[in-house]
Amino acid sequence: MNELLPGMRDEGGQLRAFLADSLAQWQVAGTVQAGEAPVMAEIRATSGAIVWVERAGHDTPFRWFARWRSAGDAPGGVRELRPCACASLVGLLGAVRDALGVERGSAVRIVPAPEQT
Amino acid sequence: MIPVSIITGFLGSGKTTLLARLMRDPAMSRTAVIINEFGAIALDHDLIETSDESFVQLSNGCLCCNVRSDLTLTLGDLAARRAQGTVPPFERVVIETSGLADPAPILHALMTDRDLIDIYALDGVITTVDALMGIATLENHEESQRQVAVADRIVITKTDIAEAQTDAIKQRLAAINPGAPVIAAVRGAIAPSVLFDCGFYDVASKHPDVGAWLAHESVDAAGEHAHPSHQHSATITSFCIVREEPLCAATLPLLLSALAENCGVDLLRMKGIVRVREAPERPAVIHGVQHVYHAPVWLPRWPSADRRTRMVFIGRGIRESWVRTLIELLDAEVAAETARRTLVTEPWLRGKVDSMT
Repeated sequence: MNELLPGMRDEGGQLRAFLADSLAQWQVAGTVQAGEAPVMAEIRATSGAIVWVERAGHDTPFRWFARWRSAGDAPGGVRELRPCACASLVGLLGAVRDALGVERGSAVRIVPAPEQT
Repeated sequence: MIPVSIITGFLGSGKTTLLARLMRDPAMSRTAVIINEFGAIALDHDLIETSDESFVQLSNGCLCCNVRSDLTLTLGDLAARRAQGTVPPFERVVIETSGLADPAPILHALMTDRDLIDIYALDGVITTVDALMGIATLENHEESQRQVAVADRIVITKTDIAEAQTDAIKQRLAAINPGAPVIAAVRGAIAPSVLFDCGFYDVASKHPDVGAWLAHESVDAAGEHAHPSHQHSATITSFCIVREEPLCAATLPLLLSALAENCGVDLLRMKGIVRVREAPERPAVIHGVQHVYHAPVWLPRWPSADRRTRMVFIGRGIRESWVRTLIELLDAEVAAETARRTLVTEPWLRGKVDSMT
C-alpha cells in the first residue's frame, strides 16, 4: 500500500494533529476533534467559529471539502451548506484561515534564481 | 599583513550569492573563506566553490556571540597552517557573517585582538541589502541597521525584481551611512576590485554610533563589566529539517505556497538543498525570505557525499512540528495524487490499489 499511496495510514489522526498544530501556529485558541462521518476533522475555535473538514471522493478533482460557520454566524449559512472544494492541503489551510478570520502571509512570489553556483 | 574583508547583511539579503559569484573570479583564487551560519546545519559550504583546505565553516551559533573564541582561534589556526604550508598560501580572508550578526564585536576583534593584529588587517565591510525587503528589514531589525552603519561598501541586491524600490532604499541607506558607496548587483554580479582593498577600516568615516559600539566592545573585552547580553531577539529561532526520503518535485511549489501563506513575515529566512524523487542525482536549491522565493536552482550534482534533504528555517514563532508535518503531508498528498493519475494510464493497477484502500 505504502509504495503507491504513501502517508495514507491514519490520515484522519495525522490531519487532526496537523490542524491542531496549525491553530497554534496561527495563535488561534481552539480544539480539533474527529467528527461524524464523513467529517474527518471538526475545528472549534474559542471565538465560536466551527470548521468541518471532509475528504473528497477519489473520483473528484479535489482532495478536501471544508464547510464552516464563522464566529457570530447563525447555523445553516451558505458556507455551512455549500462546501469549499480544495485541491490540496494548501487550499484547505487557506479555507480554514478564512473560516477562522486568520490573516497571515501573502501569496508566494517566485523570482528568478541567482546564477547557479 | 593579510587583508580581511567581512561580508555581512541581513537574512536572505544575498550574501552567499555574492560570495559564490566572487569566488568564481580568478582574482579571488588565493582567498580563504570563513562562513558563519545561524542554523544548526550549514548549507552555504555546499553552495560556494572553494578549496576545502582554505574553507572554514562556523556553525555553532552566531559569530558575533562567540567572536573571541571562534573567530580568533580560527584566524590564528589558518595563519599557522598557512605558515606550515598545510593550506594554500592565501592572500586574503573573506568572512561571511550570519544574517543576524552584529558586526561590532567582529570588527573589534579584528582591530584590537593582539593575536590577530600582527597578522591580519581589516580591509573593509561589505554589507548586502535586499532592494525588495530592505526598508522593512531596516525598520524592524536593529541588526540590519548596524550592518549598514559599519559598511565600507553597500551592495543592493535583487534590484532586478524590485527596481521601483531602489531609489527609496538608497535614500534610507544614505541616511544611515552616507560615506559608503552603494553598488547595485544583480545575482551577485560584481567585480572583486569594486568591493575589496578598501584600505584600513576607518571608524571616523562611519555613522557616529559605530564608534560607540566599538568602544562598548572594548570595555567588554577588558572585562570591566559583564557582556551586555548581546542577544538576538528571543523570539527568533532556527531549526533544521533533514529527510532521508526524497521529496516529489510537485511538493516543492506547494510547500513554498504554504510557507508564504501561513508564516508570512515571520519566516525571516528559509534555505535548503532538496533531494527530489524524480531527479535524485540533481539536488534542488531553494531560498526564500518571507513570501519571496527564488525559483529552485538545479545543481548538476550533489556538492558532497551527504545526499539528504536539508532545510534551514529562521523565523519568529515558526513551529518546527508544523513545518515538519506540513512537508510529510504535502509529499504524501502529491504521491497519492501521482498514484491516482497512474491508474488512469495504467488501468491494470486499479484492482490492486482498490484492494489496498
